[in-house]
Amino acid sequence: MLTADPERTVTVTWRLSGHARRLATLALAALFLALATKRAEFAGLAAPALLLLIPRRSALPPEISVGLAVEADQITEGERVAILAKITGQREATVLVRLRPEAWITAGAAALGADGWYRLPFLAQRWGSRLIGTLEVTLHDRWRLAEGRVTVTLPRIACLPRPARLESLIVLSKLPARLGEHAARAPGEGVEFAGVREFVPGDRQRRINWPATTRRGSLQLNTFAAERAQVTVIVLDVSMDLGPAGFSTADLAGRAAAGVAAGYLAARDRVGLISFGQQLRWLSPATGRRQAERIMAMIALDSPDGEPLGSVTRLPNAALPPGALIIVVSPLLNMRLIEALRELRERGFATIVVDVLSVEPDVGLRGRRNRAMARLARRIWRMEQAAIRFSLRELGIPVVSWDGMSSLDEPLAAYTRRALVNRP
Amino acid sequence: MSGPASRGATPARAVAAPAVPLLAATVLATCAVAWAAVPMRGAHPGARPVLAVAVACAGLAILRLGAAMLASRSGAAFRETRLAARTRSALSALPWAQIMTVAVLALEALHPSRPWHTVSLGVVLLAFLLVLHLAESGARPAVLRPVLPLIAAGLALAALSAVAAALTASGGLVAVIAASAAVAVAVLALPV
Repeated sequence: MLTADPERTVTVTWRLSGHARRLATLALAALFLALATKRAEFAGLAAPALLLLIPRRSALPPEISVGLAVEADQITEGERVAILAKITGQREATVLVRLRPEAWITAGAAALGADGWYRLPFLAQRWGSRLIGTLEVTLHDRWRLAEGRVTVTLPRIACLPRPARLESLIVLSKLPARLGEHAARAPGEGVEFAGVREFVPGDRQRRINWPATTRRGSLQLNTFAAERAQVTVIVLDVSMDLGPAGFSTADLAGRAAAGVAAGYLAARDRVGLISFGQQLRWLSPATGRRQAERIMAMIALDSPDGEPLGSVTRLPNAALPPGALIIVVSPLLNMRLIEALRELRERGFATIVVDVLSVEPDVGLRGRRNRAMARLARRIWRMEQAAIRFSLRELGIPVVSWDGMSSLDEPLAAYTRRALVNRP
Repeated sequence: MSGPASRGATPARAVAAPAVPLLAATVLATCAVAWAAVPMRGAHPGARPVLAVAVACAGLAILRLGAAMLASRSGAAFRETRLAARTRSALSALPWAQIMTVAVLALEALHPSRPWHTVSLGVVLLAFLLVLHLAESGARPAVLRPVLPLIAAGLALAALSAVAAALTASGGLVAVIAASAAVAVAVLALPV
């Protein structure tokens, strides 16, 4: 989708170009040396540079018009899109367009299309709603002695997280009575073979298992597992951010949450989201493509709506239907969330934590004298973190680590092979 | 895509094309520094540090130009590492070519008077600055065609000043002022 802003008129600031400055340096240095050393040949050496510097009549525009368009309103991490810019009113000046990107994107070289629009490709490397940067337009006169500069601030763009790969899903042992795609333990009308039982009047004859009937001497009937949908609620904790840009805990948590949501929604499950950031926001579980869009938007976009985190004592009931699987994506640094997890477990929810903490915080102690103190501080911090994870495991909440590089299937493999028992 | 490579040019030629101005700038910078430096015997004692500055600035100017040309290649920014971007930014911090020009002229001034040698150095320096300009802007040498008369006039004036300096072997302020005035008059008198 192409979204275009109305053209804006901007004033051009003209000054000497790099080429003109170099020629002026040559001329002035030569003239200075001629006077200082009393050598006439240095004065002659300044002549070509001075002649090239003669100001020529060139129509320098005092202002130009800049039209901007962005290829997409929303992009995904790792996706290449382009900003389109059209420059008009430059008269005889040649135009050079360059994107000065913010730290979260990488800009490519601009290319002028046949339609007169400059295409400035860029690559988003971090999800979130952020400013793209500035558009730098450089104008040169015909002789390249004058250089005009114009800077235009580019709009904010929403970048969605690149979903982590998740192909094997965690399925609960007891699923709510809602038609879906997961084979439940209860017999039903699914397609997965569950066993053989005695035929009773009223059963469908086409399900009679003739080989078993022959062996046992009485009519035997095939039974099948019921197919149910699961309710999955993702708790995304971005209340604290640690680590380098692009690989911070919040970055990893967003990607993991997006991957989990995409995986379960693809299996036609009902998925909800509780965002534990600066505010507590949530989406009630639902299914379908629109829910996927709502979840991605909630992950990526900041919103002033929601409940202040300070007033939250427990996670909202409205977002937690009974029998739901709770997948928490968190660096486990927020004690309020850890208390909420304990409370969830007490309420009988099957909960699993995907730990995205892969870096240690800067303890802030520098210098040789503080080295021992810094080592001790880091050791205490590590022990605290280990204690938090241990206490959660003791409560029956599995904690798996995800480094952000591999597929989510790897850390969750132990829980995707068999149904997770959801009883307290 | 409408680059030379996509129009059927061989990859080797496509790679070599931008390297030509870079190579020319390297050769001219080397020539300018070497020409101003020789012979070191008989030069002022301060010539050695100035020579070191000139060599360093020439190297940095070429590096800066090379880095800028690499970065401007299509898609190069997507592959550029943070360290490379930081290095490129550090190289652009100072106008190395301008410092080199001043250092080379100072190096020439630290030698005894030799008018033809100085004018030849001026020609090499001017060529270096023009090649640098072409390399930076990505323009073809044909863009210099309109200013060729001016360059020729400038070179003629430089030659005249060398003759004047050679004739008045003792030098003197009068010859300098006369040469400067001649340059100024020529600049003002030429039709624009």
